Amino acid sequence: MKTLIDFDWTVMAPELTIAGMAALLSVIDLFLHPNKDRRFFMWPTLIAIGTAIGFVATQWGKPAYQILADTYRVDDFAFVFKMILLIGTALVAVISYGAFRREKGFAEGEYYYLLLVALLGGMVMTSSGDLITLFVGLELLSIATYILVGMRKRAITSNEAAWKNVVLGGVASAFILYGMSFLYGLTGSTNLFTMKERLGEALTSGYDLYAWLALFLIVFGFGFKVAVAPFHMWVPDVYQGAPTPITAFLAVISKTAAFALMLRVFLTGFLPLFQGGGGTLVDEETGGRLLLTMAGLSMILGTVIALRQQDAKRLLAYSSIAQAGVILVPMATWGPFLFPSTVYYLVGYLFTTLGAFTVLMLIEGDAGDSKLSSFAGLSRRAPLTAGAMALFLLSLAGIPVTVGFFGKFYILMNAIVTGSPEHWAMYLIAGIMLMTTVASYFYYFGIIRMMYFRPPQRREGLRVPVGAMMVIGIAFIATLGLGLMPQWILGILGNLDWGAALSPVK
Amino acid sequence: MTYTASYLAVAVFFLLGLALPVVALTAGRFLRPDKPSAEKSISYESGVDPTGDSWVQFNVRYYLFALLFVVFDVETVFLYPWAVVYDALRADMGLFVLGEMLFFVFFLVIGLAYAWKKKVLEWT
Repeated sequence: MKTLIDFDWTVMAPELTIAGMAALLSVIDLFLHPNKDRRFFMWPTLIAIGTAIGFVATQWGKPAYQILADTYRVDDFAFVFKMILLIGTALVAVISYGAFRREKGFAEGEYYYLLLVALLGGMVMTSSGDLITLFVGLELLSIATYILVGMRKRAITSNEAAWKNVVLGGVASAFILYGMSFLYGLTGSTNLFTMKERLGEALTSGYDLYAWLALFLIVFGFGFKVAVAPFHMWVPDVYQGAPTPITAFLAVISKTAAFALMLRVFLTGFLPLFQGGGGTLVDEETGGRLLLTMAGLSMILGTVIALRQQDAKRLLAYSSIAQAGVILVPMATWGPFLFPSTVYYLVGYLFTTLGAFTVLMLIEGDAGDSKLSSFAGLSRRAPLTAGAMALFLLSLAGIPVTVGFFGKFYILMNAIVTGSPEHWAMYLIAGIMLMTTVASYFYYFGIIRMMYFRPPQRREGLRVPVGAMMVIGIAFIATLGLGLMPQWILGILGNLDWGAALSPVK
Repeated sequence: MTYTASYLAVAVFFLLGLALPVVALTAGRFLRPDKPSAEKSISYESGVDPTGDSWVQFNVRYYLFALLFVVFDVETVFLYPWAVVYDALRADMGLFVLGEMLFFVFFLVIGLAYAWKKKVLEWT
């Protein structure tokens, strides 16, 4: 028998680095004088993330490997998502540097290590092969973000946001657990691959109602975590109340981790519920319809409600709901480019959204609020920042030469090649995507019009800290570079073994 | 349909649980004599006359204490079965078993240190 020591523990090196640094920082924070400035915590945070990125890079491309009784798996799927999470968190840590100077009672030390803990949760989620590790990762991420959302403890909006996040997040977790308990009852296992084998049997032997019940419960919970309609009610208030870097974290890292989770669970454990007859994966008897409905609803609701927003932070929150709907499309339509199109879009979304939120954070710090009118005349006060923001908004809207355009195009193409007269739902979802994209121009261009064609409220230039400047620069280069040369990242994604993520390691 | 049938027992228990207090109180209402007096109407608190308002403010530290208690309670739940099968596990995996639990305890100790430094353990 193989003992635990014989396993290759180095595959967990990225997670152990992050966990170790979070523990170390929490101890340092405790024994450091309370009045000491804790801004420098950003540096150890960045070092830990950098080391973890290095570990992931050295493991990149190695065959799939499972440890801890097959509950923890490291494969290409996990590497890609871990890379996105690590880079995203690093950028969030950089823009947080010194962002809370004026905030009274802000526990800045705790802020950085909770960020690491949330990241650790996300990483565990991406490489779990078992419902238990998956749930532990999900809760690690969720609980850390509940606290992070409420970090501005003197601000009433932050308290409200934290409260809503805790209560609704707890309800969602309870639904996920309830669904998981049904799955365990049906299959007698928490392992995703064992579940896949036995769930098909359960479907055909009279337990189909329970299998569907489990799917609905889990979709409800996951829908909440990725913030798609109709489970999006918490998003605007929580996004608005949270400190802006944390809003960016929720919009990018939490969402990406939850999508990784959804892909893992639906493409392995739940696969029997999604496989229809006749070669394609969506027909009346499969769960694909459910995801298609959610995707369409999010795009429509997110876009329509965003049209009426007067607050840039709420606008971006509704826009993130619409974006989540777009990201859900490949998963709902399946098709040949399921993984590459989802991951490409997520990479683009990471840089674009982080850039947009960074600019928003600067505006917020300058004007004291996040109203659309605070953007007035930005092009005259800070031409470079305004130009970068315009590019991020164009990318979110999906205008050519940006990463957002190619991402949407790729997803659209994937939906259309999967469609056929019998599977007209693909054409429908593609049509909804096109229409909501056109409608979204209206509000994205609203911000651009504010920045370029309205007189500024103040004369003096916008103060841009070095960290924020760097993040805006990186996001700008990535948004433009990946849009002009998508083959760079598509080449990397094409060489990965996505099939390995869906099959157990022997 | 045995899987469904097994929920029948749950349903029966649920109904019994609902019915029991309702039936007991309703039956009591019909059986008992009804002669209230001022003294009888006082809420019963172990024979002592109740004082003050029922809306009493508790010190918020009760909750912190309770949370801390739960953490260590759960630790015991993990430690105990581990200790019971320790010899068997040790024969199988060597000292790794000990290291594993020490890792867990280490993280709990950080939590305790946090509570201690944040003055959760002090009442005033």
